Amino acid sequence: MRRDALIPQRTAAATRRAVLFGGIAAIAAATLLPGCSTQKPAAGPAAGGAATPATPAAKRFIFLTNGDDPFWDACNAGLVEGAKRFDTASRGIRVVMEKNNGTAQGQIEKLRQFGSQSDVAGVAISVIQAENAAIVEEMKNLAAKGVKVITVDGDVNRDKFRDARPFYIGTDNIVGGRLLGLAARRLLESRGKSSGGYVQFAGFTDNDNARARMNGFKEAVGDGFKEVDRMADEMDLSKARDNVRTALVNHPDLTALVGIWAYNAPAIAEVTQERGVRDRVTIVTFDAQASALNHMADGRIDAMVVQNPFEMGIQAVRLLQALHAGDAATVTEMFPNQGKADGDIFTTGLRLIHPDGKTPLGGPDARPLGIENVEVMPLPAFREWLTKYGLTSS
Amino acid sequence: MPAPHASPRGSFLLRPGEWALVAAILLAIALTTIVDANHSYWFRPLESLRDIARNTALLGIFALGATVVIIAGGIDLSAGSMIALSGTICATTMLALKPAEMIGFKPVGPAAVAAGCAASLLAGFLVGTLHTWLITAVRLPPFIATLATLVGLRSLARALCESTTAALTPTKNALVNVSDPFFKAVRDNVWIPVAVFAVLAVATWLVLTRTVLGRHLQALGGNEQAARLAGIRTDNVKWFAYCFGAMTASLAGLFYVANESVAQPALQGRGHELNAIAAAVVGGCSLAGGVGTVPGTVLGAIFLRVVIDAVSKIIKTGADVYEGLIVGVVVVIAVTFAQVGQIARGGRRLLPGALGLCAIPTLALLAGAIVAMTAGPRAGLAAGLAAVVLLGMLRLWESRTAA
Amino acid sequence: MHRPEGSTTADAAAPAVSMRGITKRFPGVVALEDVTIEVRAGELHAICGENGAGKSTLMKILSGVYQPDDGELAIGGRPVRFAGTRDAERAGVAIIHQELALVEDLSVAANVFLGREKRGPLGLLDDRGMQVECGRLLESLECHVPPGTRTGSLRVGDQQLVEIAKALSLDASIVVMDEPTSALTEAESARLERTIHRLLARGTTILYISHKMDEVFRLADRITVLRDGRHVCTVDRAATSPRQVTGWMVGRDVADHDGGRGRTRGDRLLEVRDLTLPWPEHPRGYRLADVSLDLHAGEILGVAGLMGAGRTELLETIFGAAEPTWTGVIRLDGRPVRFHHPREACAARIAMVTEDRKRLGLFPDLDVAGNVSLCSLRDALEGGLLSRRREEELVAAPIRDTGVKTPGPHAAITGLSGGNQQKCIIGRWLLTRPRVLLLDDPTRGIDVGAKAELYALIDRLCRDGLGVILTSSELPELLALADRIVVLAEGRLTAEFARAEATEERIMQAATGG
Repeated sequence: MRRDALIPQRTAAATRRAVLFGGIAAIAAATLLPGCSTQKPAAGPAAGGAATPATPAAKRFIFLTNGDDPFWDACNAGLVEGAKRFDTASRGIRVVMEKNNGTAQGQIEKLRQFGSQSDVAGVAISVIQAENAAIVEEMKNLAAKGVKVITVDGDVNRDKFRDARPFYIGTDNIVGGRLLGLAARRLLESRGKSSGGYVQFAGFTDNDNARARMNGFKEAVGDGFKEVDRMADEMDLSKARDNVRTALVNHPDLTALVGIWAYNAPAIAEVTQERGVRDRVTIVTFDAQASALNHMADGRIDAMVVQNPFEMGIQAVRLLQALHAGDAATVTEMFPNQGKADGDIFTTGLRLIHPDGKTPLGGPDARPLGIENVEVMPLPAFREWLTKYGLTSS
Repeated sequence: MPAPHASPRGSFLLRPGEWALVAAILLAIALTTIVDANHSYWFRPLESLRDIARNTALLGIFALGATVVIIAGGIDLSAGSMIALSGTICATTMLALKPAEMIGFKPVGPAAVAAGCAASLLAGFLVGTLHTWLITAVRLPPFIATLATLVGLRSLARALCESTTAALTPTKNALVNVSDPFFKAVRDNVWIPVAVFAVLAVATWLVLTRTVLGRHLQALGGNEQAARLAGIRTDNVKWFAYCFGAMTASLAGLFYVANESVAQPALQGRGHELNAIAAAVVGGCSLAGGVGTVPGTVLGAIFLRVVIDAVSKIIKTGADVYEGLIVGVVVVIAVTFAQVGQIARGGRRLLPGALGLCAIPTLALLAGAIVAMTAGPRAGLAAGLAAVVLLGMLRLWESRTAA
Repeated sequence: MHRPEGSTTADAAAPAVSMRGITKRFPGVVALEDVTIEVRAGELHAICGENGAGKSTLMKILSGVYQPDDGELAIGGRPVRFAGTRDAERAGVAIIHQELALVEDLSVAANVFLGREKRGPLGLLDDRGMQVECGRLLESLECHVPPGTRTGSLRVGDQQLVEIAKALSLDASIVVMDEPTSALTEAESARLERTIHRLLARGTTILYISHKMDEVFRLADRITVLRDGRHVCTVDRAATSPRQVTGWMVGRDVADHDGGRGRTRGDRLLEVRDLTLPWPEHPRGYRLADVSLDLHAGEILGVAGLMGAGRTELLETIFGAAEPTWTGVIRLDGRPVRFHHPREACAARIAMVTEDRKRLGLFPDLDVAGNVSLCSLRDALEGGLLSRRREEELVAAPIRDTGVKTPGPHAAITGLSGGNQQKCIIGRWLLTRPRVLLLDDPTRGIDVGAKAELYALIDRLCRDGLGVILTSSELPELLALADRIVVLAEGRLTAEFARAEATEERIMQAATGG
């Protein structure tokens, strides 16, 4: 036996342990250490942070969303544009977007995290549950620490929690719902239908913007048509499709299907195609995912009410910047009616998109819809607008 | 035959693995303080401490339940769904007793709150009984029985929520808002869940180490057949274990509802049972049963939450994308580290033969990928190479010592 | 006698196995201390020692399961170091463990070739070839089991031959057998001995661990005795006697057990009438049929029988651990009882020490005190909570009375030798102050010295008024201990003998159904 084998196993073991520990610590450190580097390349972390050029930034404006969706990508593009336009970098501020996992707890935890980190200057949040008091409390806690908090796209319940935030930027979802309802009604009438049932599909039925849209739609489409059901899919895309299938089976003579959130549009279009019932139903949807636009081009969607998340992004940066810098002039410019009812809302415009060709909605002979601040566009024109800003969806 | 190992003790001193956990927690905190660009732990310690304490308490409450079940030789996969069911039962009970107040966001009064909480805990007891019945009378393996309740209870909760709201409120709803000042007080005061957790931990520790029932639990988990033949009524001991597991999950559910001010059965607590099991295992529980301590689980819960917070502090934006990966890596490292003593003593090799050779590039790729995604390709490459070098050295060292 | 002619002097130069200065430590215990042993080629070298003496550890080092902390190993004169069992196999060492290491769900042939499977031309498993080869090996061992049989369905004796076949297929020149006859019947032991002779005739070196003196003195050429991890002596068989060897093993002179002289039989404690335990899955239909017996205070009732005769089932039924489907009557102190759970039997002051302590008796995660106190925890309470101090006081007596050798009450139970573990379990039950003690093969795998101590203990308990039912596979033991012996064969009670009229042949005849 060699001499070194007679070394008591203990020191050999202890040295081995040290090497092991050292190795693990080194790997762990190598993993975590780079996270501290603020010199992120332009490609940036996968979360889609809107990275500004490589100067180390001292503060952040954070846009907190609900989940993954091309809608938020368009918004992100708006954030980038806004950061450029209003030159946030020169004030040492980075604009980033944070995604949530679709739960209230996720938003609450994130708001708490923002509160415990000292480099957050402003937060724009799309609230996932309008009546959730815990989210409201965290928003207020943040505001108490001096962080500027506004809501964008998804607001809190304004009757109860108005004081949670000074301002809201986004679509007036009731108006949006009404717009879609009117469009649906006009389409149905032009097809000779004055009564029938319809089903509305959304991610959550108790989310503020979803509810507002659905109520607006119901109001505008009129009592001649019956709202048979509101189906929620909790942002699960395969569930969204299953809901459409279930609706078609349970109510065989539906006249219309209404998609409330962006991904409901392609779900409805594909399933009606799959079931071969396209001719029997009128399909109207919200928001313009790239795939939804293709469906409309192929004739599977009849009308689309499109928000302007790009604009929301730009305006969110503008407002946060103004609030942070104490720029009262810009704030008044954006919100001329402060103090009055609805004076805390900045509506980003709506568009009604219809397929190219003859349609009761657009064209020179179309009757006006009776709603302000709405742009009616045929699909090709809308696609041009998208390309102009480098977007694929809205 | 493995070499004999040291026996557990019921004294106040921690076992070596637990001291190692304490060291790991302190190391993680130190690392975060330094590496975080804001040095939030240094400048604003209280907020982070409060958040970590709250999250640890919430996790720890039902991690204690998981520990007892694991020590008894079973497993409970349904804790997350029990949380959802418990929250829903509490909210719907209050809704049924005081519908107008609940809908109107007004206080419902202490009686309704008490009824809601009692109903939740009772539900926990019933679910624990169901588990025990399935496992002892129907003879389902615990994995299967609790897998069934994992999916079943959540669905039950959703159905309960929708039917109750359909009956008592203007519209059918998938969640119930809870705004009573009692729950708000629980949400606002971190010390309440922390105190409840502390009391529960001490009580569980007492039972496990200093009562006949605790000894029977250990015996059952260590050798079920022998326990029965030693005159232990194993079915009753299991009943206690599973009821304790489900009732702690119920209690946690009440805190979840308070924390979120809403009972949302579809999503609440989803996947959280795995966090509880991870905390128990990192703290030294053996899934084979018979081994585990309360201090270990408490430390394991603290460790997990500290690591998750560290990830958020260091990778500021988009941290949750990496959270799962890092927690997974850390759990593996923690459990491996706990065995380092055994590895060194028993002459066991971490990188043996062809398997070890293949493991080196796999681990290096993993480390390199994580670093590349967070800090850019060059850092990633550097990390990967560093890993290859370190692991290669380890392998050479092992072959030399064994030869 | 066993060796081929003329090989003695030539092989004396290079011993087949040489282990010098071997030391092995486990946490808390030194298993081997500077042990040196040389085995000549082609001899049958017996290794004797109490449990805990280190025999198994030494052999596991030889076969590559453990690595020594100190010392050198040489095979055929060449120094070697085994990192694992594979290295040992390559050097020609095969070990047949006491606890068989077979995969129950695989076939016999698969087990024999496990890890060294034959492959066909395409690289796929050559099952046919393996079965043929395996069949050949088994035939040479007088085993007529078809090679495709599922290993788990074989009797223990046949399973052991499968292990030997595995060793043969390795072409091992050194075969280690660890207590091979502990689970065999007489016929199977005889068959094994014939096999051993055949192996020796081929020139195989055999190391044979046993503490059965009759076997050792029939088979061995030389005997090495280990005690407490140290080498005591190595002698030629012809130059010594069983009593001398036993004396070396124990370190003192061991007298024969005196056989229960002077024990008085008291009142009838237990009465079993027409006990029948159904067994639906089996063609026979029952595990026990119409078994009747009596047990009095102060007596030892021995239960003899082959494996599968129903001895364990009998005890389990009395203890309330069997399925509650049995019919018949069990009376305790004249009152009929029907226990549905061992707890009820405990409450009625019946205790059972199970066979297979590792599977059914020990709690590996509890320490010695925990294992001993388990049935009497109420007596360790102080103010409603378990007190460490009270527990230690509680277990001190049984540990002392049964003679457990342990570093302390909080040592790991897994670090104790088999004999000491068994004493702990007996101590556990003694704390419950039973009136009826059921012992299922209590001295299995226990060395001579510990056995003697156990016999004395059981004798003492009987004198104190306990009634003991004792099963055993060792007839000499039953003959020495029991006042009366009943014999089970295939679930039926075929004979009952008083001490005076019992002989091995008569018992064997009754056990085999004659």
